[in-house]
Amino acid sequence: MLGMVTRAALACLMLAGVLMAPARADDTLDKIKQRGSIVVGVKNDYKPWGFVDPSGKIVGMEIDLAQDIATKLGVKLELIPVTGANRMEFLTQGRIDLILATMGDTPERRKVVGMIEPNYYAGATNVLAPKSAGLKQWSDLKGRKVCAVQGAYYNRRVSQLYGPELVVFPAVPEAMSALQGGNCVGFLFDDTLIVSTLSAGDPKWADYEMPLASEDPQAWAMGVKLDDLNGPLGEFLKKLSVDWHKTGTLVELEKKWGIKSSPFLQEMHDKYKGS
Amino acid sequence: MTALPVLISPRLAVQTQGGDIARGWLSGGLLIAVLTAFALSVLTADARAAIGGAGSFDVVAILLKWSPLILEGFLFNLLVSVLSMAAGTGLGLWLGLGRVSQLAWLRHAASAMIQFFRNAPRLVLLFYCMFLLPFSITLPFATVPLPDAAKAVIGLSLPVMANVAEIVRGGVQSIPVEQWESGEALAFSRSQILWMVILPQCLRRMIPPWMNLYAILTMSTPLISIVGIQDSMTLARAALVAEGRTELFIPMYLMLLSWFFLYCYPIARWTAALERRFRVRI
Amino acid sequence: MEGIADFFRWLNDARGINLSIFYDALDRSRFLEGLWTTVWLSLICTVLSLVIGIVGAWLQGARFGAVRGLVQGYIQFFRNTPPLVQLFFFYFAIGNQLPHVIDEHGMLVPPISNIGWAILSLSLFAGAFNIEIFRSGIEAVPRAMVEAAESLGYSRLGVFWHVLLPLAFRISLPALNNNLVNLVKTTTLAYAIAVPELLYAAAQIWSEVLNVREMMNVLLVTYVALIAVLVAGMSRWERALRIPGYNP
Repeated sequence: MLGMVTRAALACLMLAGVLMAPARADDTLDKIKQRGSIVVGVKNDYKPWGFVDPSGKIVGMEIDLAQDIATKLGVKLELIPVTGANRMEFLTQGRIDLILATMGDTPERRKVVGMIEPNYYAGATNVLAPKSAGLKQWSDLKGRKVCAVQGAYYNRRVSQLYGPELVVFPAVPEAMSALQGGNCVGFLFDDTLIVSTLSAGDPKWADYEMPLASEDPQAWAMGVKLDDLNGPLGEFLKKLSVDWHKTGTLVELEKKWGIKSSPFLQEMHDKYKGS
Repeated sequence: MTALPVLISPRLAVQTQGGDIARGWLSGGLLIAVLTAFALSVLTADARAAIGGAGSFDVVAILLKWSPLILEGFLFNLLVSVLSMAAGTGLGLWLGLGRVSQLAWLRHAASAMIQFFRNAPRLVLLFYCMFLLPFSITLPFATVPLPDAAKAVIGLSLPVMANVAEIVRGGVQSIPVEQWESGEALAFSRSQILWMVILPQCLRRMIPPWMNLYAILTMSTPLISIVGIQDSMTLARAALVAEGRTELFIPMYLMLLSWFFLYCYPIARWTAALERRFRVRI
Repeated sequence: MEGIADFFRWLNDARGINLSIFYDALDRSRFLEGLWTTVWLSLICTVLSLVIGIVGAWLQGARFGAVRGLVQGYIQFFRNTPPLVQLFFFYFAIGNQLPHVIDEHGMLVPPISNIGWAILSLSLFAGAFNIEIFRSGIEAVPRAMVEAAESLGYSRLGVFWHVLLPLAFRISLPALNNNLVNLVKTTTLAYAIAVPELLYAAAQIWSEVLNVREMMNVLLVTYVALIAVLVAGMSRWERALRIPGYNP
């Protein structure tokens, strides 16, 4: 007969097996309505799309959009700060219901996350560099140290095309510190953030510029689980997205947050205005 | 110290008279040195800022402004260390007992687990737990959420568990076999001997390495800042970004280093004192 | 080779297990480079920390109390503060404040790169432990040996180098090996300052290819295997250098 210890161990194994049974797949929109709140993953270090105000609250253009979604669904809004490296994991784990965090819409990502079309914004890749670096074109980056942040979709493309030596940090503050310390010749990031940093009037960025031509324009999209893409939540968000462009909500929000008027939004507004 | 040409055990060799007195002076001197270095860095930062023409500003005032927030983060670090230590010690005790069990399969399984968790780097284990543990556990009656901090505590407690298991194993194996035999002679069962005779004797010997482990654990808690949890390191970095002055870097990091030092150094001294008191006199 | 790549591609397409390092050349080269960087970073830091340990152990026997105090201060500082904070302190704080030099492109850059700071910081950290280890090893050598060497006309340095150190090394080998293993595990901290070692390479791969689950497992297994090999090698060396009859 098995001893006491062995029996206890077998019991633990069986309990573990029971606990690891996969959960039933539940429709996300139902879950949201049941819970009474929608959990949205947003950025908290990307001014002015998602950033922290002096009181500690997360605010920004994307937060306004998320609030609109919550209001239209009749539920409360719950915000969770995410980074480029963990937002998709959080979504697939079920920790957040929706990604609204400056996420670029790329074919590889479409395999993992359901992207809501029409896209709600578009950005492009550029570099924040000191004026003294004298960078004129992308090929000037060859062999130079360029700071970047983990999880950005353009890191691979830029490093394959132009051969810089990418120095990748876990988050934006470290990359900016390293840039200011002279550890790299520039900071590779989305041009929307670079423009907003330079135009904020902060004296420490006075000697910096965005010298290169913005490349690889990438539309941003809201992200939902692949199962939800053609389900009730996905359909609702797609209709809402068309609505935003039609009524010019996005253009208004752009003005409200002081973002430079984007030709992409203007095009989309004109396109949907008549429909 | 013996004049015989035999080699002395390094542990016994540590107890030199002069050493104790020297360490007494040194701890005071060290504190003074740390504070002096800190003060010097603050003064140089002040001077640099004034020369840099950006308007003189008071480094001490800025540090004091951010100290309460960073102190909160530091206390969170300590909380994480205490929780991880508790969890790791609890689990490690059982793992250690499994390691010295009479059941062969248990011994080998425990040995494999201990080797695995001792060989894996702490940061990798932490990443592993943060990414791959579910964010909530579905029990038949309720869903228990697992916040980030809990995952970090679990991640940090795994190496602690393995090391505590080794300490327990070492402790149990250092008890002379006569104790086991006497227990058997008195008709104790094996588990009775273990819990009533052996473990109480081991406890004293296990405390110094256990405290040493706690100090090491405390010094590895800043790792949670890399996986995105807000602790003293993240807050210090956020404060530096918010202030934006490069002259602040050295004073700020020195301040953080001295807080950890002021917490861990007394623990190290206490451990050394306990080691001297509890050492096996033969 | 092609067969293996095809198998893993099939594994990805059919079962969704994406082990891109086996079929994608870029990912594989990044992973192997990361592994190589970890290995040579550990080697350099080991050598440097041994040098620091020996020099520090020598200075601990110095005549001047100030020198002894300085060494003791260094040891206590590096043993009682977190290595991550030390690393950040060196790279972000001190690195930014050092006088910058002009590099080949005419830009002002800090004189020491992030890899340099990682090596410096990790060596100083491990060196502090090594000094303590060497000291306890040296104290285990009986006074009679030292007196005998002195009576044969060795200078203090000669006694240290030819008599004390070789014996102390053999005695403290287990502790030194333990320190070496810890050093290899501590190199993962360099990830935070963007040193391209194994954890960094794996993080790059999983944030681009989006195969976190698979890469985390590969990473864990690789590190455990690497250190298991190291521990096995060190055990054999310890057994070979063991002093018969000496069992502290």
